[in-house]
Amino acid sequence: MRVSLTRACRFYTSPITPKPSFFSPRAILNQPFSSSSSSSSHSSTPKPKTPLFLKPPKYSATLSDLKKWHNWAKALASSVRSTFADSDNGPDSSILFRELNWLVEDSLEDPSLIPQLGFQNNSQSVRLRIGLDELYGLWKQRIEKRKPFQYLVGCEHWRDLVLSVEEGVFIPRPETELMVDLVSDVLVRDNDGLRDGFWVDLGTGSGAIAIGIARVLGSKGSIIAVDLNPLAAAVAAFNAQRYGLQDIIEIRQGSWFGKLKDVEGKLSGVVSNPPYIPSDDISGLQAEVGKHEPRLALDGGVDGLDYLLHLCNGTASMLKPGGFFAFETNGEKQCKFLKNYLENDSACSFCNVSIVSDFAGIQRFVTGFRQ
Amino acid sequence: MALAAQFLLRIPQLGRKNINFPSYKHRGNYQPLFLSCNYSTNDNCSSTSSSKKKNYLELTDDELLRECEMDTYKSSGPGGQHRNKRESAVRLKHVPTGVIAQAAEDRSQHKNRASALSRLRTLLALKVRSSVNLDAYSPPPQLLQILPPKSTIRSSEVGPQIGPNNPKFALGMQALLDLIFAVEGSVSEAAKLLGLSTGALSRLILSDDSLRMAVNEFRTSKGMKPLK
Repeated sequence: MRVSLTRACRFYTSPITPKPSFFSPRAILNQPFSSSSSSSSHSSTPKPKTPLFLKPPKYSATLSDLKKWHNWAKALASSVRSTFADSDNGPDSSILFRELNWLVEDSLEDPSLIPQLGFQNNSQSVRLRIGLDELYGLWKQRIEKRKPFQYLVGCEHWRDLVLSVEEGVFIPRPETELMVDLVSDVLVRDNDGLRDGFWVDLGTGSGAIAIGIARVLGSKGSIIAVDLNPLAAAVAAFNAQRYGLQDIIEIRQGSWFGKLKDVEGKLSGVVSNPPYIPSDDISGLQAEVGKHEPRLALDGGVDGLDYLLHLCNGTASMLKPGGFFAFETNGEKQCKFLKNYLENDSACSFCNVSIVSDFAGIQRFVTGFRQ
Repeated sequence: MALAAQFLLRIPQLGRKNINFPSYKHRGNYQPLFLSCNYSTNDNCSSTSSSKKKNYLELTDDELLRECEMDTYKSSGPGGQHRNKRESAVRLKHVPTGVIAQAAEDRSQHKNRASALSRLRTLLALKVRSSVNLDAYSPPPQLLQILPPKSTIRSSEVGPQIGPNNPKFALGMQALLDLIFAVEGSVSEAAKLLGLSTGALSRLILSDDSLRMAVNEFRTSKGMKPLK
């Protein structure tokens, strides 16, 4: 039995000072941001949305109204049970409850008030970063449309970062957290000055890997983060700036190695989490992924290997001798194939090609060095 | 925390039959796990100066993680780009000892992994015992570090006293518990060996909840009164 939106709708008090919140384009323009259109035309520069937890708390609601919403949202989540899980390996109610808690956390100006949600008929007012009406709408979208939780709150917690993400930008995965450790491991043993060189993150999306790596590089190290999608480039720039890394991370909008001619043969490292899902598998994915995340970030062609192979073919000429590469893959089959491919490269460009597993024991990364 | 990903799913437990480690809250049938703290088969941690004795707590995060299974991840399917199901809770099972630690508070798996690992270290300190040679007892440096300065055997080179919030506290706690077990729970005996009054050692034990509980658990199993 589905709980409908109309049953529990109440009115909230009007916003205190309605103020449009938009991201200043200046911050993006300050980046060496080469896009296909001239950087002086604002209309073609996408404006990243502000994540919920960063929005000013200019809304309010009574605790009892908030509690009504919360009860409605919990009931809606509860009604899901294991239907999503059974249909497409989606989340079950327990995961949705957890997401709901996080939604409340990001919505309240003062999340320490959460325990007080237990008290009904409390007319005390609380400040919110989002209107109560919109909260109803968001959760409805979560359950009815399977909109990813991260797009509701506009962010993802990843490693020790909080990264802005929005519809149109790929959500960084927990498996990819390990990529930063792979790099920092190499840098610990680094005898070739890799830590102070140029690194490249191809298909950066939200900028996750680039930002993670920027924090382990040496003081003279720098990263070029590339993405074809101008929205991703804008979001990555926003995230980089939030962590004060705008001088270390250069965002370039473009395709793979296309905009990297100037650093050919000079790179200390090339890392990437390219789209690697076989095209035919996309329709079978859980709806949050298949119906909402950008296909551009997922579809790797027939075997899922199109871009991985492109990267393998292009990396040798990009890396300087001793340079490092690490690519994330779909799993064992792709890892083994790529290792074999790289080791049998006719020019013998690479050495120490290795496969590294993720924490679930799935072979996930292929790494190696330029001879 | 790299290369930790190449963790072992199963470590052959040679020569050990059923080491069922009871939770240390388990009263009565208290069986502390005496391990040689290396991968060999010995159940008794004796001298064997030739073999390099390794304390689990002395392992780096990577090395320790490699000895663990992460139960939460097993059922995921292909994972990676396929999946958006945030089960950020992490449950680590340390395979050689069976000790389990978990963390779920944070929204990031990475952070929960770090918390779980830190908790695992504490639990290993509390649960894994090494035997101690009382005849020629010399407190190891990690134990000296957690003792108050007034300890007569504590030289100034040891540095300031470190408290429960310091990551090295677990190592000291482990060494202290090894000693307490060796003296059958007698705080006064242990205090003598540490150059402290019984009261001072008591206070140290009571300063940390898990240390207090472990000591009292053991004392109760020996028919002694818990410290208060």
